[in-house]
Amino acid sequence: MAYNILIVDDSAIVRAVIKKALTISGVDVGELFNAADGQQALEIVANEWVDLVFADINMPVMGGIEMVRRMSEDGLLTTIPVIVVSTEGSATRIEELKAQGVSDYLRKPFTPEQIREVVDKVMGENHGK
Amino acid sequence: MENERIQLLENVFCDVFENLAFMFGELVDKSDLMHNNMKHTLAQMRFDGDRTGEVILTVPDEMCPEIAANVLGIDPDDDQVYDLAGDALKEMLNIICGQLLTALEGSDPVFDLTVPKIQNIKIEDWNELLKRDESLAFIVDDYPVILYVKMDK
Repeated sequence: MAYNILIVDDSAIVRAVIKKALTISGVDVGELFNAADGQQALEIVANEWVDLVFADINMPVMGGIEMVRRMSEDGLLTTIPVIVVSTEGSATRIEELKAQGVSDYLRKPFTPEQIREVVDKVMGENHGK
Repeated sequence: MENERIQLLENVFCDVFENLAFMFGELVDKSDLMHNNMKHTLAQMRFDGDRTGEVILTVPDEMCPEIAANVLGIDPDDDQVYDLAGDALKEMLNIICGQLLTALEGSDPVFDLTVPKIQNIKIEDWNELLKRDESLAFIVDDYPVILYVKMDK
């Protein structure tokens, strides 16, 4: 099954790296959307069919946590899993993120195998939703 | 700066450049970097949490497109490497900062990181930055690079 994926990051190179890692990893990607901040991402998920979101935490305009909070207020959007991609390595922060509704966490730098693993895990868990 | 801390910063710095950009770094004496006439770009970000501080990375302007090409695995002559050159440097700093904080402070503390910013730096300011106690000098694939890490408390 091909997944429509939204990549949210203010860095164009990070968006390109995630896209490349997804391609190499063998994840079946349908349509790929890009957003430079949480605000743009909310507009996309409101208007397009998105199965999975990769999002940075620290972004101008609207960060990833605020984006997840807004998505959780919408009955339909709250079912879309969000994987946070960040450089931060704090175990405490990761637990906080999960408590706030983030599905999983991918620490940079990551390998294509790691991105495949997290997609399989999250989409497997999400199948029952 | 004590030797153990220098070793840790060196390891993080070299690992990130090697794993992300396939570029190989070596810690050198600061005198090895002086008297170069290159133009340099500075990337800077701050962190706030159990400790606050700042991390700065400077690289020669001409190194930025090379980092972008290596990170993406594309030809250095590809037009998009010039568009992504600044972003590539910011991302290198972002990852170095995240890895440094875990290496220095462990995985329990939570830090808020600012979005990295880049700017050109005048050669006199670059020389002044190099001389600071918190700066380390590296040669990465023949390019002179400064890593500056300051923890305020």
